Amino acid sequence: MKALRAWFAERIPVSGVQIAELTNEPVPNHLKRWWFCLGGTPAYLFIVQIVTGILLAFYYEASPKTAYDSVRYITEEAAFGWFIRGVHKWAATLMVAAVILHQIRIYFTGAYRKPRELNWMIGCCLLMCTLVIGFTGYSLVYEQLSYWGATVGANISDTVPVVGGFMKKMMLAGDVYNERTLSRFFILHAAVMPTIMIMLLVVHIGLIRLQGITEFRFEDEPADKPRHFNFFPDHLLTELMVGLALMILLCVLATVFPVSMGPRADPLSTPEVIKPEWFFYVTFRWLKLFSGTVAVLSMGFIVFIMFIWPFIDGAIRRYFPKSEASVWIGIVGAALIIGLTVWEAMVEH
Amino acid sequence: MIGTMAVSYGTLFSYAGQFLYPANPTPKAWMFVIDAVRMKAGDSLSFIAPSGARVAIARQNDTGAVSDFIALSSTCPHLGCQVHWEGQNNRFFCPCHNGAFDPQGKATSGPPADAGQSLPQFPLKLENGLLFIEVETQSLAAVHQREPMEQGESDGGVA
Repeated sequence: MKALRAWFAERIPVSGVQIAELTNEPVPNHLKRWWFCLGGTPAYLFIVQIVTGILLAFYYEASPKTAYDSVRYITEEAAFGWFIRGVHKWAATLMVAAVILHQIRIYFTGAYRKPRELNWMIGCCLLMCTLVIGFTGYSLVYEQLSYWGATVGANISDTVPVVGGFMKKMMLAGDVYNERTLSRFFILHAAVMPTIMIMLLVVHIGLIRLQGITEFRFEDEPADKPRHFNFFPDHLLTELMVGLALMILLCVLATVFPVSMGPRADPLSTPEVIKPEWFFYVTFRWLKLFSGTVAVLSMGFIVFIMFIWPFIDGAIRRYFPKSEASVWIGIVGAALIIGLTVWEAMVEH
Repeated sequence: MIGTMAVSYGTLFSYAGQFLYPANPTPKAWMFVIDAVRMKAGDSLSFIAPSGARVAIARQNDTGAVSDFIALSSTCPHLGCQVHWEGQNNRFFCPCHNGAFDPQGKATSGPPADAGQSLPQFPLKLENGLLFIEVETQSLAAVHQREPMEQGESDGGVA
């Protein structure tokens, strides 16, 4: 055993103490509170998605002729296929929710402020990537709703001035949804977007490590209480417990609310009632309220404002140091998102 | 050295971009519909395109020009969903974003009306008294949904 250890130590010249020093940064006390673990939650769910996604890819066939039947085979015939697909679907739903909640937490605690502006922007990119990966994944099933969702999505990009036509063609591999479209969605979903997300996550976590986590002190904390605790094993244990709770939740959701199959895609007939996934309800309602270009440009403007918000907020605070504008704008924005989502959920058309 | 790298990697990216960009637009062709004299003003017929889509073609006037005819597409100009005919409301309705169109294809409410859009029309032409329509010859619907059939022929005759 000693000889084996010496053999590895010679070839991998890193000691256990060095690894512990590298990872064991002091963690602020507020991270003992569960709702501050929302950053680790999407990361854990992302790993679940990679594992279940690889399993699903063993059977999935990305062609209009075979996609629907391959998903049906996974769901109805492959051993535990219904469970793997269910976990993949529910983890996607929870991941979107967790990313949104994490971003809301960051916003309302002001954790995006100097010097963390760039990390906020990377977080915004990760949110967009999560939505894109959700959209492309939903399209792969090749049901009626997923087919028409993809068609609407591609046509939304077409309304973007100047580059819209190019974007639509690149997305669909042609002027309209065709035989080569589904394989593009699959490659985007299973290779391109995960790669981009992993790279963004590395930078995101790297910046958190370099800058440290924004520290909060709560009124109910005793003044003499230590301000930090160890990452290893204390915080790691918290994250592992969150992971365990998530896995139990995913298993329950996948079993109690199993995934099903809608009708096969029919390019000649749009269903009477059409809805996207819940996280696109806001966009869907917005598109009903305004004409195509106006809706797309206004959405793009809102996303851009969200992206550069740390700098806008910085400018406001420079002139009005005691201003709470960011809180009120956040409340209005959250109310708008919740309101439009509920509105779309409540009505048929 | 930086210049050489920029040129070589730039060329690689250019090739990759061209590789990913769809090569050809969706192929279209002019297809025979009917001898124009067989349709009177007010008549309509249902034409089955190679894609399997049914196209309603109507004759509105009797001047002998191609503008007498109209062939409405069922694709909503807003975001590409298929509209349905609602007989009870005398309108085409798009279930995606609540667009509505009158029987001539003019938007009456919803986002298409806000943007001043109408239902697209298929191009038609008259040659030697014969009516032709320009339609796509390849379609996803034709690939996996329809049984082999006589394509490009009018279905149901003149109504």
